[in-house]
Amino acid sequence: MMKTLKRWCAVLAVVFVSAVVSVPAQQPSPQSPPTSPASQPSQQNEFIPIDQLPPQEQLAAAPLLIGAYVFVLAVLFLYVLSVARRLTNVQRDLDRLDTTIKQGGRA
Amino acid sequence: MPKWFTPVAFICGTMLAVSPLVIANADYESTMGLVQKIFYYHMPSAWIFLTASIVCGVASIRYLMTGDPRHDRTALAAGELVVVFGLLTLVTGPLWARKAWGTFWIWDARTTSSLVSWMIACAYLILRRYGGPGSEKLAAALALFGMANVPFIYISVNYWRTIHPATSVVPKLPFTMGFPLWFCVITFALVFIVLLKLRVRVEEQQARLDGLYLSLDER
Repeated sequence: MMKTLKRWCAVLAVVFVSAVVSVPAQQPSPQSPPTSPASQPSQQNEFIPIDQLPPQEQLAAAPLLIGAYVFVLAVLFLYVLSVARRLTNVQRDLDRLDTTIKQGGRA
Repeated sequence: MPKWFTPVAFICGTMLAVSPLVIANADYESTMGLVQKIFYYHMPSAWIFLTASIVCGVASIRYLMTGDPRHDRTALAAGELVVVFGLLTLVTGPLWARKAWGTFWIWDARTTSSLVSWMIACAYLILRRYGGPGSEKLAAALALFGMANVPFIYISVNYWRTIHPATSVVPKLPFTMGFPLWFCVITFALVFIVLLKLRVRVEEQQARLDGLYLSLDER
């Protein structure tokens, strides 16, 4: 039980550290030179379809799509493996105990 | 295992393997383009997430009323599946949102209530694992809160200001988008049934094992 708890704590620590590291990377650099109002893009106040955005503002969809599908299939696969492993272990213990009880009964 | 299990597991495995091909042939949504195809896994995951919460809650009610350990085993199995399908929903949604909304996460009514429901399921599993003897009834009461949250999650988009689509979108989908969606819904439902049965089987065998150990101790 303690081993499982320690393993979960380690996973949570890794997730927390990676989240903390990734947050400052996404924030704009404070040393970036101030831009003049004339060079700033005009205020967007209407809906613009995603395919009409300028190329520098477009985000590639394929990595997000592939990432989502791979994540779903990987999680389902790992869960099936985990349940199968647990079932095999319980079944093995059960068979071993059954054999022990039968041998004890004969003796 | 019952006779239906192997054919159903085979059918669901085949459907899951074929589903990306079915989705690839679906029409592109006009404003979001390619990334909208995450929808075909995101929404069935979300529906199964809510279904599993209801199964867990109903089994918990029956356990609290009758004390029958079979219902408790079903509730535990469903609780674990709430966490699995909730995780799929809460990861695929932000990946879609990053492109469609420009951000991974917004604290609107649906995303927040879904996160709360997932955290309740996590708390349920932690309580079951580390709560010690007698924690089953406390955990069953916690599962009721998870189930009570389900209608709120479903209707939240109709009553609160949000950029999540309303519940009226799905019935209006054209056949070319509706067919892949319902194909994936059936696939995920079969996956849920197969996994629930497998997980309940683990608990049944574990109960048998515990019973045998007890009988050995009594000798």
